[in-house]
Amino acid sequence: MQVLRRYRWKEFRLYIIPILILLLSMTQLLLVDKDPHSSFSTKILPPIQDLLPVLGLIAFLLVTNILLSFSPLRRADQMLLPLVGLMSGIGLLMAIRLGPDVGDPAQGTRQLAWIIIGIVLCMIVVFALRDMRWLRRYYYVWALFGVALVTATLVNTFRVGFHNLNSPTHDQLNLGPLDFQPSELLKICVVIFFAAILAENSDIFAAGNLRIGPLRLPPIRQLIPILMMLGIALLFFLVVRELGLALLIYGIYLCMIYLGSGKLSYVAVGFVLFFLLGFIGYAIFGYVRARFQAVTFNVVDWQNWTAAESNFAENAGLQPVQGIIALSSGGILGAGLGLGHPAFVPVVQSDMVFTALGEELGLAGLFGIFGLYLLIIYRGYRIAIESSDPFSKLLAAGLTSIFAIQTFIVVAGNMKFLPLTGIPLPFLAYGGSSIIANFIIIGILLRISYNNALEREGLAY
Amino acid sequence: MLQLDVFLLILRLLFIVLLYLFLMQVVIAITRDLKVTAASSASVQKGPPVLGHLVVIDGSSTLLPGTSFNLAPETTIGRGPTNTIQLPDSFISGAHSQLRYHNGLWYVTDAGSRNGTYVNGQRTEPGQMLVAKPGDLVQVGFIRFKLTQ
Repeated sequence: MQVLRRYRWKEFRLYIIPILILLLSMTQLLLVDKDPHSSFSTKILPPIQDLLPVLGLIAFLLVTNILLSFSPLRRADQMLLPLVGLMSGIGLLMAIRLGPDVGDPAQGTRQLAWIIIGIVLCMIVVFALRDMRWLRRYYYVWALFGVALVTATLVNTFRVGFHNLNSPTHDQLNLGPLDFQPSELLKICVVIFFAAILAENSDIFAAGNLRIGPLRLPPIRQLIPILMMLGIALLFFLVVRELGLALLIYGIYLCMIYLGSGKLSYVAVGFVLFFLLGFIGYAIFGYVRARFQAVTFNVVDWQNWTAAESNFAENAGLQPVQGIIALSSGGILGAGLGLGHPAFVPVVQSDMVFTALGEELGLAGLFGIFGLYLLIIYRGYRIAIESSDPFSKLLAAGLTSIFAIQTFIVVAGNMKFLPLTGIPLPFLAYGGSSIIANFIIIGILLRISYNNALEREGLAY
Repeated sequence: MLQLDVFLLILRLLFIVLLYLFLMQVVIAITRDLKVTAASSASVQKGPPVLGHLVVIDGSSTLLPGTSFNLAPETTIGRGPTNTIQLPDSFISGAHSQLRYHNGLWYVTDAGSRNGTYVNGQRTEPGQMLVAKPGDLVQVGFIRFKLTQ
């Protein structure tokens, strides 16, 4: 009886609708394939056996629910996993649906494998991270690990050669059969390192002893590690030419420095520096200008395009222009899963998955997905607020900020509100390192929520 | 095959309806959760009754003037972790002072501190008990407090 009372019923109840949604979408993909009209179209849809990964994901989510309920960790947050589960389920469906269309039928199965590895790693983090001090005390180890990841990316960039910097995969490491993107793990290292430094010196940062004109900055000794992080962001901006990652790291940096010190002046200085660097980058680098060209490009006025504009839309700007067309053809209710033609957009399965979702689920579906993101972010900040230890607080808030900033950068890029970047949409985009890194983040958040629950109940940990 | 088209349309609409239903379910679960934590934190605060406050006036590098401490019927002040009021100040002894409430008055004793306990400027000698009422100045080490209701 006690087992039944302790069961994570709330989580179980929250799993019901996501499972219904996944089964329903599966049925839809199956029926669309049988639709005689679809055989006239150019797209290829997955056969029945390719839809099986969806059932695998559902089974695996229920297994984690049971596993957590029968372990001491049943007190951990019960809302994160259903939200994340539905998100990665939609991502898995999209990978399955797009797989045959982009000429990679095994994509869905591989995505499921990544999600399962991600959930297993998430569980390992929840169970193994017994003491948050392991993260806090050895923060220079995490910083070193981060530097190693940066070096790996740099070496790879040099090996590929600068002539090849426009290739979309120049930031990946090829480790045997896996294409590994070090940047995804780098963002976690950056947050741990920042949280540890800010938690240790929060009073110093809040006071700000070094005066430069009207500004009060922290003393040099505390300033150096922070400037180092800025240097890494700059390195990505200048050398590796990863605009998205540079934006992400800089965004995390601004968020955490505000959370740690509570001073808007630091953020203001950060923004001024950002615009200054952005302007310099725009003036010097061709690649930044080329990216911004897409932002100012007028897609709606397609009847009056000049020859140069048509050329841009068919070559350099093909991806964002096709993305906008896909989004607009979705309308409010969308074409329906499997009924659109999202594969006209290049690399739709990872960089541009947002436009595929927009085309097939419509504006209503996109708002639903934004709702899911907002709730995950709300839950993360809630865990941060409930935590009493400053390091856990900053860590939870920083990790949650990753989701918020990354989603913003990707979605803004897909809607050509910002230049298009190569970072993936959390949980929805196809890709192993992104899924794994995001599940590790969820694992850390679950562990912090568990520590909070113990503290609330007055139990020692 | 008109039926299939209609069926697919229903499935599409159902997908969106279910997605929003799920969002609603999570929001409801969150509000319920917030109510539970609010109720539990309210019950946590139901400790011993608060009979008065000590408000910091000056004399501390770590405490801002105006910081207020709740006084239980029997309150101990000191640097150690077992005290009712813990003051992380290097001029405060591990167990510094004691305040006892009886019939509307506070009886202040020194718990063997190095820097002493004072009521309105008068030092409490070992074994001595000084009376303080709301409005009086209580000095613990070098930190001066005002005793309030």
